[in-house]
Amino acid sequence: MIREPIQLRTRVILGIASVCLLLVAYGWLSHRQHRANPKDTTVPGLRQFVQGWGRLVHADAAGHVWIIEDARATYGRLLAGLVCGVALATLVGMAMGCFAAAEAFFHPPLSLLAKIPPTAMLAVYFVLVGTEMKMYVAMISLGIFPTLAQAIHQAAKKDVSDHAICKAYTLGASHFEAIWNVVFRQILPRILENVRLQVGPAMVFLIAAEWAVSDVGFGYRLRIQSRLLNMNVVYTYLVILAATGFAMDGALSYVRRKCCPWFGQ
Amino acid sequence: MHALDVQKVSHWFGANRVLWDVNLQVAAGQIVAMVGPSGCGKSTLLRAILGTHPPREGVILADGIRIDGPTRHVGIVYQDYALYDFLTARKNVAFGPMLDETNPAFRLFRFPAWRRLRRRHLAEATALLEKVGLERAADRYPSEMSGGMRQRVAIAQALVMRPKILLLDEPFGALDEATREELQLMILSLAEENRLARQAGGQPPHTILLVTHELNEALYVAERVIGLSQFHEDGARGATIVYDKASPVFRPDQAKDVEALHKQREELRAAVFDPENLKKHDRYVTFWKDHADKR
Ligand SMILES: Nc1ncnc2c1ncn2[C@@H]1O[C@H](COP(=O)(O)OP(=O)(O)O)[C@@H](O)[C@H]1O
Ligand SMILES: [Mg+2]
Repeated sequence: MIREPIQLRTRVILGIASVCLLLVAYGWLSHRQHRANPKDTTVPGLRQFVQGWGRLVHADAAGHVWIIEDARATYGRLLAGLVCGVALATLVGMAMGCFAAAEAFFHPPLSLLAKIPPTAMLAVYFVLVGTEMKMYVAMISLGIFPTLAQAIHQAAKKDVSDHAICKAYTLGASHFEAIWNVVFRQILPRILENVRLQVGPAMVFLIAAEWAVSDVGFGYRLRIQSRLLNMNVVYTYLVILAATGFAMDGALSYVRRKCCPWFGQ
Repeated sequence: MHALDVQKVSHWFGANRVLWDVNLQVAAGQIVAMVGPSGCGKSTLLRAILGTHPPREGVILADGIRIDGPTRHVGIVYQDYALYDFLTARKNVAFGPMLDETNPAFRLFRFPAWRRLRRRHLAEATALLEKVGLERAADRYPSEMSGGMRQRVAIAQALVMRPKILLLDEPFGALDEATREELQLMILSLAEENRLARQAGGQPPHTILLVTHELNEALYVAERVIGLSQFHEDGARGATIVYDKASPVFRPDQAKDVEALHKQREELRAAVFDPENLKKHDRYVTFWKDHADKR
């Protein structure tokens, strides 16, 4: 029968099996490739990975340690962009959810902006704010802003009943308290959930921008090293990016569980 | 001065006339139930008294204060509880005192003073939850409680404000029969508190206007029953008060006297639901004539 439940043990074994299968398949591919061409770098073996790691953590000819410089640049940009984008989207989304005038005002530009692929706007930011930090922040924050603001707007409108707001006023709330202590508190878990969903897109926008115009950062290094077919470095960076995604995801869901224990899974 | 004074209130939505010339005085300490056909405008009248949706015409005073927006003097209990999901039962009840007595600047900049005040609010909330029989669930979130428990929290949340008048809009409509009866007893216990306060020569603490569509419930919990209906002389212009009489008073420990209720229920049904009684409603709106002394 479909949807038949399975034991936890079976579930874990199947999960491990899939990962092992992937590793074995890769190992076999790498082995075959190296038999044909011992100098091959497209499907690096274990020794090449160790070698690549060595290049990442030791200073190069110019005295730069790649992994540290790239991580500092990329994480700094990602964090600044996310903070600005989330702050902006929360402000605008809350305003739209609480005031019909703000809703009418922001709705048209927001729906327009949401339809343009953010990576396509790169040239615009490039011209307007240059290639400094500001550009990455603009890219990420304006990239995630429309979707996030729309989600927060919907949550502020739908997740808080009129009765809850009317009652707050009868309990002596000011307008600010109705917004801050009722609406914001109620939709905080939704905001955190939506931020979590936007971390992925934010990383896409950032890597794309770094790929195009940066001279440091994961995106830049990926571009240079993939051109040289140094796939041992490329794969290592991909794993680091995946780990970053997992860590941010876990951190945000931890924050949500801590701040909003009342919100179910 | 009346705890509630509704003067010549009319309301309409476009061409849909809902309320027509509603006049209602409720003395402090009265427990009043309001019945009427569904869709006749009971909730509209409550919203007008609450101040969230002021009427098109007419004046509403609560203890002499003119109501033109929601205030802390008029409390509300909704059928859907409208609790704050992100607060435990205790904090839901303490929410009102917090909003009423402090502001965000105080809570932020005078944190030690706020901490002390907060402790008092929480103690007050705990005491009220004990009164409504929820001391054991004080730290649960609304999503972890049954409908009856949530409605008790909502009632405590309103009572903690000591409003001039407390409005309940079909408060037990979504509850099962057994829970409903428990909560009816709780309203009776509030009436009992009023009685004891009067006996001691003090001000009765609770003034309540409760909307229900159950005639028995209205007659049982309230000491005065009001019928709102379109079935009157000016029916086309909206609903008005067509029935207003005292009803049998029960004590919480007293058995429900079904016979006594039955006779008045028939009269109430005739006045409110029967178009036959068009124009005769003066015969049924006699509370203040009968009880001029209670003014
Ligand atoms: N916001 C509104 N806009 C238009 N019509 C409304 C609105 N609220 C209520 N009404 C109408 O007013 C009448 C009375 O509604 P209501 O007060 O909710 O009745 P009830 O006595 O069942 O509580 C109904 O005919 C309803 O359709
Ligand atoms: Mg109603």
